[in-house]
Amino acid sequence: MNWDALRLSLQVTAVATLLIVVVGLPLALLLARRRFRGQTLLETLISLPLVLPPTVVGYYLLLFLGRNGPVVGWLDVQLLFTWGAAALASAIVGLPLLVLSARAAFAGVDRSLENAARTLGSSELEVLWRVTLPLARRGILAGLVLAAARALGEFGATLMVAGNIPGRTQTLPLAIYDAVQNRDYAQANAMVLAMTALAFLSLWAARRFERGGARPAEAGSGRSE
Amino acid sequence: MADQSSRQGPAGARLTVDVEKRLPGLDLRVQLAVDSEILVLFGPSGAGKTTTLNLIAGLATPDAGSISLDDQVLLRKNRAGAALDVPARRRRIGYVFQQYALFPHLTALENVAYPLRSGRLGRRSPDAAPRARALLARMHMEHLALRYPHELSGGQQQRVAIARALAAEPRVLLLDEPFAALDSAVRERLQLDLAALQAEQRLVVIYVTHRLEDAFAIGHRLAILSDGQVQQIGRIDEVFRQPANSHVAQVMGLHNLFEARVLAVSPEHLLLDWDGLLVEAPPQAADVGAAVTAYIRPEDVKFLYPDRPLMGAVQHNQAAGVVLGQQASASFQRWRVLLSNGCEIEVRAPDHTYASLPLQAGQPVQVSLRKDAVVVLRPLLGAPL
Repeated sequence: MNWDALRLSLQVTAVATLLIVVVGLPLALLLARRRFRGQTLLETLISLPLVLPPTVVGYYLLLFLGRNGPVVGWLDVQLLFTWGAAALASAIVGLPLLVLSARAAFAGVDRSLENAARTLGSSELEVLWRVTLPLARRGILAGLVLAAARALGEFGATLMVAGNIPGRTQTLPLAIYDAVQNRDYAQANAMVLAMTALAFLSLWAARRFERGGARPAEAGSGRSE
Repeated sequence: MADQSSRQGPAGARLTVDVEKRLPGLDLRVQLAVDSEILVLFGPSGAGKTTTLNLIAGLATPDAGSISLDDQVLLRKNRAGAALDVPARRRRIGYVFQQYALFPHLTALENVAYPLRSGRLGRRSPDAAPRARALLARMHMEHLALRYPHELSGGQQQRVAIARALAAEPRVLLLDEPFAALDSAVRERLQLDLAALQAEQRLVVIYVTHRLEDAFAIGHRLAILSDGQVQQIGRIDEVFRQPANSHVAQVMGLHNLFEARVLAVSPEHLLLDWDGLLVEAPPQAADVGAAVTAYIRPEDVKFLYPDRPLMGAVQHNQAAGVVLGQQASASFQRWRVLLSNGCEIEVRAPDHTYASLPLQAGQPVQVSLRKDAVVVLRPLLGAPL
């Protein structure tokens, strides 16, 4: 078992998931609630990593993070071939899964409930926190689990921007590839099992959590008479 | 008794509204002054009733106008831009929606406690739970405090919604067709409770409805909103007796208003004597011998075909008459008919409904007043305070 790779994978996934939430939720809310110029363009761009080969995403990231890219040029931050680049790559491929799901969830929240909250004294932030987010929770969580799982399994783009440096940027999927290349099937088996267990656990936990917290069992259908 | 409690209770308020807003297909221009009373805002659908409430609550912004509550200005705006616009959360205007709008992820109790844990009253008052309980008890809902909205009936949900609106300590309460989806027994009880609440807390209440019966059941004053304008506002009996214009009369369907005397009350029907014509109305409480006002919408008066058997709905309330005249409008036809009791009645039907029936002026006809559609107006609850 390659413990370094497991640790790195968890670290990369955690940071990527955080990035996805911070960027994705506001984006989803914006897309669900406002009509603006360039909306279709933005939606298409966000969804693009779903259909592009990971190597293409990786190549763009390489340009973006590389010596002539804006990150080095303007911010003077060297991300290339660090685990940070792996986290960024994972976030970009996972982002559309959250945005699409959360956007639908936000759009499904009854606006009159938000209006009711406003007449009851709630600020916009409070409406979001106490009404919109709890009611959109299912869709957000479902999207988040999918996005995190996608981030955990990221391979192609990560390989291009972070390389495959054992102990520094080699995540589990990369380590599995290496182990198979080296015909080290014992290692490969252990890591494949670990990956499968992680994926299974996260999906199972999300479902468990959903059912455990399912006080208003059918949030949406409650108001039908 | 109500008088005494109101004197000890909170002081009354006065809401003045003068707003205009251009909507697709409707130019809304509403002027209202409402005291601590129940003002019934009546009008056909599409007249701008809900938009008016949204403007008052601060959920929509008018193009221009002003709204104030006593001497506090809630909105002042001219066409150039807003000078002042108090956000909905600070207006102290409660809003009860037609579809209840309870938070589905919260129990009845948590719904009512919602405003108590929020900004305006906020600071997480420690007595939120007992206060919410008291409000639920006030609406006779204490025993269902821990139910979720989807576990409650429509009437129960609306009780919770009213309790929740009251929890925010509003001075104005807006109700948008609040009891439209409820059956009549539940609706009547809720209307009584609402009237008691209004008197107790000296609330400014605006009650939107498209049912004229509601105006009689609950309103102190009646405002007729049609085509985006308040056509008339006044005491209900005044508006009824003296419609400001033919538009009001038409909106109210006043053509077929009649005075009658109650002959008999039974579980099957209410029997009325309309100047010699016997009219059966749906069963309801009334005193035998009492004089009542009743009406029937022109759509619910049917011509009878002499050669066809009578089906269920038109078997009741038959009367002979003579067609006085016929008028065609957009897609409707209207006839005035002189009944055998000497009174006129209007009949309205979509084009071609009676194509095979001769209905020119002077033609003797048989009509039927659909029994279920005869509305006996309940007396006023009382004069405004």
